[in-house]
Amino acid sequence: MNDDMVISLKGVSKTYRDFWLRPMVNAVDGLDLTVGRGEVFGLLGPNGSGKSTTIKMILGLLAPTAGSVSIFGLSPQSVEARARLGYLPELSYLHPYLTARETIMYYAGLCDLKRSVAAERTRELLKMVQLEDVADRSVAGFSKGMARRVALASALVGKPELLVLDEPTSGLDPVSTKEVKTLVKALAMNGMTVLMTSHLLADAEDICDQVMILDRGKSVAEGRVSDLGESLEEFFLAKVGNADEFVLADFLA
Amino acid sequence: MRRGRAIVFATALEILGEPLVLLVLVASLAVATLAPAMHYHQFGEPSRMARDAGISALLLGGAVVACAGAARTFRREIESGTAHAALAHSVSRTAFFLWKSLGCCVAYAAFSATVSLVSLTVVRGAEIGGALAMENGTMARLWGPSLVLAVAAFVVPMLAAAALNRFFRFRFVMTANLLSLIAAAAGSLYSFDALLACRLLPVFALSAMPSLVLLAGSAAFAVRFRSNAVSLAVSLIAAAALPALGNYCLSDALVDGGAVPLPYFLAAFLSIVPAVAALLLAGVHFINGRDVQ
Repeated sequence: MNDDMVISLKGVSKTYRDFWLRPMVNAVDGLDLTVGRGEVFGLLGPNGSGKSTTIKMILGLLAPTAGSVSIFGLSPQSVEARARLGYLPELSYLHPYLTARETIMYYAGLCDLKRSVAAERTRELLKMVQLEDVADRSVAGFSKGMARRVALASALVGKPELLVLDEPTSGLDPVSTKEVKTLVKALAMNGMTVLMTSHLLADAEDICDQVMILDRGKSVAEGRVSDLGESLEEFFLAKVGNADEFVLADFLA
Repeated sequence: MRRGRAIVFATALEILGEPLVLLVLVASLAVATLAPAMHYHQFGEPSRMARDAGISALLLGGAVVACAGAARTFRREIESGTAHAALAHSVSRTAFFLWKSLGCCVAYAAFSATVSLVSLTVVRGAEIGGALAMENGTMARLWGPSLVLAVAAFVVPMLAAAALNRFFRFRFVMTANLLSLIAAAAGSLYSFDALLACRLLPVFALSAMPSLVLLAGSAAFAVRFRSNAVSLAVSLIAAAALPALGNYCLSDALVDGGAVPLPYFLAAFLSIVPAVAALLLAGVHFINGRDVQ
């Protein structure tokens, strides 16, 4: 295993099954993917293309039906591998009964940080995501943007080497979106490896070095953003198509 | 260890922040306090009535808190996705399940300690009231100060929690639950009787044991099944099928002088251990075998 290889997927497939174990849907089909150290890699695709399933297999939350997944050369099930990554889920999954400070402290605890270190790091992160004023308020009353910032701070609390972002700007206003993009760029500049999914092509174009486009669980294109030669949106539509728009146009006509 | 502490702390806070737990606590304390205080018939054994009211409250309320607390916290973690975020960190699924189950036990222990301490105060009040009645030749009633302390254990914390919520944004339910425990401990110290405590606390501990079996079952099956109702039903069936519950015929144990004989207590405890261990192992198997979607 190359030391510079952070994520490696070889021939990975995932089939969801029903209660009787009959195959229901092939969410990912024979996917090969590698992400090198320091890269900002974008996993793009329309809804239902298998982006989140791929991410969950990388995180060890889902077991692949076929193929192999490794992060830092280890199984994603291994605690050592997961100690080196931070994860921002698609929806800001937060415990509603905890305050913003307690939430970040909770994740600091999961990262095995000493209490004094965790408290200091929590203070820094609350300042970074501009939530110092509401640090002791329950997150249940937070807006979507505020909850997203708490989730982002929680993902960064263990100073991860690999940051996995599932739709990082989902539900954010333009100002917050810009802030998140700037932050991800800054983290990448400091050498952090970032894997992100998005269906917002502008985000991927701004942030990513390398992208892979998924459609119905398969990779339909992969390459460096700078090598695409056309706008990412045009490239994406050429690869994935916009069949839904045509159906809608027919219906409206 | 730090990971475990974080999970236990967050789980206990979550369960103690559940409005359902506070409602059950207030209802249990009201039964334990008011049932012996407001009886209409004299059977000549007010302290025994107070003790039985406490045991009933602990058995029924405890079963609800243990089952609902464990089942709801596990289901919510999996359904809301907070389990994804936790399991994506450096914590194994087995450790996550076991630490979280311990967090449920901590919350349950806070509940059962509150009810037990209030019951202890009420039983002591009934004993003092009975002695005074015998001296004066009047009808036995709960001793006034004990009754006031027992009622205060669930009324004052509610008012204090409301004030703390209003002026300092403290979380009402969690604060009320914790203040109830403090008030119950303070109240029981006021009229503390060591002999009575030695006699009664094992009885209350024995009453809490079936709830621990239900708690472990609810936690395990909440990981496996998608519905709280299904996991609750399965854990009740599993718990009923376990030989451990055969030991909870408290009336047999208490009939001899109102205390639980030590061999009986040990036998009950030893039958609890394999039952809880078996259910926790089932939970570990379920959480390791499933996709976290």
